[in-house]
Amino acid sequence: MTKIISLFILEAVFCFTFFTVSYSDINLIQTTCKKTPFYDLCVLTLKSDPRSSTADVSGLARIVADSVKAKAIATLNQISALLKSVKDPTLEKALEGCIVSYNTIIQADIPVAIDAIEKNNPKFAVQSAADAGNEAQACENSFAEKPSNSPIFSGNKAVHDLSVVLQSIASLLL
Amino acid sequence: MADINPLLPVSSSDGSSNLTGQATCRRPIKVVVSIFFGLLTLGLFAALLIRNNGPVDYVDVHENERGSLASTAFEKAENLKPVSRGPAAGVSEKSNWAFGGDLPDYPWNNSMLSWQRTAFHFQPEKNWMNDPNGPLFYKGWYHFFYQYNPNAPVWGDIVWGHAVSKDLIHWLHLPLAMVADQWYDKNGVWTGSATILHDGKIIMLYTGSTTEGVQVQNLAYPADQYDPLLVHWVKYPRNPVLVPPPGIGPNDFRDPTTAWLTSEGKWRITIGSKINKTGIALVYDTKDFINYEMLDGLLHAVPGTGMWECVDFFPVSETENNGLETSINGHGIKHVVKASLDDDRHDYYAIGTYNDRNGTWIPDRPNIDVGIGLRYDYGIYYAAKTFYDQNKKRRVLWGWIGESDSEAADVKKGWASVQSIPRTILFDKKTGTHLLQWPVEEIDSLRLKGKEFNQVRIQAGSVVPLDIDSATQLDIIAEFKIDSDALDKATGSSDASFDCVTSGGAAERGALGPFGLLVLADERLSEQTPVYFYMTKGSDGNLKTFFCNDQSRSSKASDVDKHIYGSLVPVLRGENLSIRILVDHSIIESFGQGGRTVITSRVYPTKAIHGAAKVFLFNNATELNVTASLKTWQMNSAFIQPYPNL
Repeated sequence: MTKIISLFILEAVFCFTFFTVSYSDINLIQTTCKKTPFYDLCVLTLKSDPRSSTADVSGLARIVADSVKAKAIATLNQISALLKSVKDPTLEKALEGCIVSYNTIIQADIPVAIDAIEKNNPKFAVQSAADAGNEAQACENSFAEKPSNSPIFSGNKAVHDLSVVLQSIASLLL
Repeated sequence: MADINPLLPVSSSDGSSNLTGQATCRRPIKVVVSIFFGLLTLGLFAALLIRNNGPVDYVDVHENERGSLASTAFEKAENLKPVSRGPAAGVSEKSNWAFGGDLPDYPWNNSMLSWQRTAFHFQPEKNWMNDPNGPLFYKGWYHFFYQYNPNAPVWGDIVWGHAVSKDLIHWLHLPLAMVADQWYDKNGVWTGSATILHDGKIIMLYTGSTTEGVQVQNLAYPADQYDPLLVHWVKYPRNPVLVPPPGIGPNDFRDPTTAWLTSEGKWRITIGSKINKTGIALVYDTKDFINYEMLDGLLHAVPGTGMWECVDFFPVSETENNGLETSINGHGIKHVVKASLDDDRHDYYAIGTYNDRNGTWIPDRPNIDVGIGLRYDYGIYYAAKTFYDQNKKRRVLWGWIGESDSEAADVKKGWASVQSIPRTILFDKKTGTHLLQWPVEEIDSLRLKGKEFNQVRIQAGSVVPLDIDSATQLDIIAEFKIDSDALDKATGSSDASFDCVTSGGAAERGALGPFGLLVLADERLSEQTPVYFYMTKGSDGNLKTFFCNDQSRSSKASDVDKHIYGSLVPVLRGENLSIRILVDHSIIESFGQGGRTVITSRVYPTKAIHGAAKVFLFNNATELNVTASLKTWQMNSAFIQPYPNL
């Protein structure tokens, strides 16, 4: 009998934990990401961060902001590396412009977005996220000879798309 | 989590002494229960897997039509034209670009960037500014406070900046009035308003964001009421005086107004908030600004408008041409409720009737209620606040004008945002539905050399250059006459859907428009900002006039906002069309029909700067000739600077 009872209790605990933890956090990530234009990117980014299992929407926004910053830093490093060996003056000019864009994202846009989320004044996070996306686009656009195919296209696209996700999530906090 | 395999046969000898006699009956029950739990567990796993991997379509979900900006870019992937939902949201009207567009970023040089700084609009010497705070007149000085970041040209570290002026135009910077030095405003010394008490003393109520990020209301007052400059401020030692009431979110409670007296002799304030997506204004009564009683009802609420920020509430006279002190009530008086909508970053107002006994207000026209009707300004303009100027008996309006360029440019140039020129506000007796805004008369003192142009005929489809010298600091007052014959002859169209914002701008030719002025235009018109009227005639013969401001060709740079702003403007029979424009480097403030419809925009030309900027009259209509008469003045700088020898 005790085996039945212990089985029952274990099952009940399992169900309860399963539903409350797994169901609710997956559900929040899904419902939040559905409100962004990049569902898969959003879900992937959030799920790969352990904080997402206990985060509210504000916390999810913070996770995305951190991810934008990480991708931006990686892209900035890529740009710096390319600059070291660049010969073509047009390419060099584009890369230098991108340094400015990425410095803005890393030093202005993302810190302001995080600050605004933390201080519960989300409209400034929305604006900064929009700007981050625009900066990434401006960088990509500056490779006039290779539109949408620059040497850092994937970095630019990642930063742009994640910024848009951030903007969407921050809008939910308004 | 231990996963007992429920399909294993359960031992009949479970060691329980009570059950030895019942082993044979229990075995089938045990098996059934085990199978049940086993299936349940399997089912849960299956559910988890399906939920995780199930295909989910991105649904273009918006909280409201003014909401998320994100989807608009992706509907217009290859198209950098203005988006159909109206000006993009965003504190400074930053639009969201589609990835993969083909225009390069603009290399701003110092000449272009330094030109952008205004000559006679209020702005701090550097760094970021946003909402106007606590404007007032006291002991001969106009005071202006503002949200300020002392450390960077982007939002953050917000404190109260301070400046004084004798005439609302020539400002002198003073030290910061309040910083984030208490637990109750550590995360932000946010917006607030001043109230002048019976004995002439001043109190300030402002929102603090606490160390926990909760929005509370705090009381502050001048350290020395005999100091006309009000340099030092003291915070009430037992702040906060108000915390979010039950049912109101800790982040939905900010921007207390100037107080007004009730018929019972108490002071009354209102604070904006929201419940779900309904924007509301809470009401509190107080005798001492320390203890408050919240009224049961709301001043007003409008569903679907979201959070109401920077609520303002004030009386206007239906008959007199002066402003009214905030406590005035009675016959021939209407009250205005204004809210800044967090969701779309625009300021809306509505005119209505206030009931003092129960602290409620109802709009004259519910179809243009707060948040769904008229705006103070159809351009970039937010967080506006009025005050009663007892010096000249007028109600004066301040509004924050953000940037619409990239933050990279703001960081490079070291500053962001200006304030509008203060405007008087009056009830428009002629329409009965609008407020009139007009730059304070003291701005006229900046006028230098003037030039008059009379009866300049502008044929359909033509551009007329105006021979004025410099064109980056200008005051222009223009009147346009149109042939009433042409209006009568024009065929009415059943397509009544013109909207400045969705139109093709000044390049889109119609029978009766567009016509107006091109400012910050270079000689070749490679850059130009049209400020213009566009008339339409409905199939019923009714004429509508729109007042618009077109940024689409305002600059060769791609990283600036290119939207078209504007709205309907009421024009009454017998009125000529009139425009006033203040051009001050990167800001243009334009007033249609004496201030019935106002548009402020930020413009960042790369060529039409310094001596290359010019002004033109234009008429791009197909069936209308227009005659313009105008006066233009060069405008002097206001020499805004720190207060000397403080």
